[in-house]
Amino acid sequence: MTAKVVRFNVNGRDQAVMAAPIETLLSVLRDGLGLSSVKSGCAQGGCGSCSVLVDGELRLACLTPAENVEGSNIVTLEGLNESNSMATIQQSFIDNYAAQCGFCTPGMLVAVTALLESNPKPSRDEIMEALAGNICRCTSYLPIVDAVESAARELSGQGDD
Amino acid sequence: MVEYLQPETIAEAANLIAKHGNDLAIMAGGTRAMQYLVPDTPYILGVQRLGLGRIEKADGNWSLGAAATLTQIRREVPIEAIGEAARQVGGPAIQNTATIGGNLFSHAPYGDVATLLLALDARLSLAGADGERSQSLADFYADGIDSGALVTSIGFAEPAGETVFLKCGRNRFNSATVVAIAVHATLNGGKVGAARIALGGAARHPMRCAEAEHALNGSALDAAAIEKAVAAAREACSPATDAVATEWYRRRMVGVYLHKALSQLAARG
Repeated sequence: MTAKVVRFNVNGRDQAVMAAPIETLLSVLRDGLGLSSVKSGCAQGGCGSCSVLVDGELRLACLTPAENVEGSNIVTLEGLNESNSMATIQQSFIDNYAAQCGFCTPGMLVAVTALLESNPKPSRDEIMEALAGNICRCTSYLPIVDAVESAARELSGQGDD
Repeated sequence: MVEYLQPETIAEAANLIAKHGNDLAIMAGGTRAMQYLVPDTPYILGVQRLGLGRIEKADGNWSLGAAATLTQIRREVPIEAIGEAARQVGGPAIQNTATIGGNLFSHAPYGDVATLLLALDARLSLAGADGERSQSLADFYADGIDSGALVTSIGFAEPAGETVFLKCGRNRFNSATVVAIAVHATLNGGKVGAARIALGGAARHPMRCAEAEHALNGSALDAAAIEKAVAAAREACSPATDAVATEWYRRRMVGVYLHKALSQLAARG
């Protein structure tokens, strides 16, 4: 069996890509389409660096065969960058020192987006649970939770404090 | 090179499984299969197109399609203990992908939902080249997993009594299992009935603990009965040492967490 054409929509644009059998969505997005926000961290579903949205749901691109998302709408961090809420979340990550090396940050931001879509005013516990699949090896997690908490407050119109 | 087979019908899937034998692995969500099976297996059978994702309840009986995701379980099955077991597996992205059928095959230190299903006395529907059959989850593990069949759904009766699920992990969320405890029991007139105790992380696959159940059935759920059940479970389990915990620690945690679970049950009665 050889590579076949898989069609889906990525960040609002229809794409047709060649995918080998069981080739991961990570490989197709990162190496095929040049979307380098999608990181290969552990490549086994343990770190969350390859987090993307598939039809609005948080998924790990490293565990997803490209063929399985034929016809889906896929959003990577590149596709979220233009929105006002992402600008707010990113600024909050900067203000709260929530990034050090930054490798995990794109996956974190996608996971935060999925959280705030379904729960615009999460508690600290809910933030920690929502980010439980995203590993950071530098900053410790508290600045990240602080950043999400303050971004959520700002986005839900409650101001900063 | 690996070949990815995506049959459209159960019969077609069963035939492919029979045809390729050990050269074929079944993949549902892929959260384990993508890392462990794909690199060394010539044929991967995907279940996406088989329509196995439905969750239904009829006449007090639940039927969970084998490809229903853990997120679906959390949303669609309003039984607190099963929701908690699903919540304890991975993070949200894993729960959006991992399936209930896949969890049955996830040996220690994983398999939290399977542990809970064992305490609910779940039955499996399996499809093979020679047709469909049904098997209890307890026998599925006890008899040795049938690699020639496809699990299509998991069924159980709406629990008649109380159900508790507790997990001991290294982190509060997204942790491999040190031990998991699932207990079902009815409490009529202060006496325990239908006690079903399942242990996860206590052997290669989730196990029912008949010795601990015998210590409880027909007795009051008091301190003495709880101690007896705890001692029986610690004796009966055979946990492994791995990167997550030692055999010594797991055996102690079986006791500690079963004690906690039974105390919670007693408080509800």
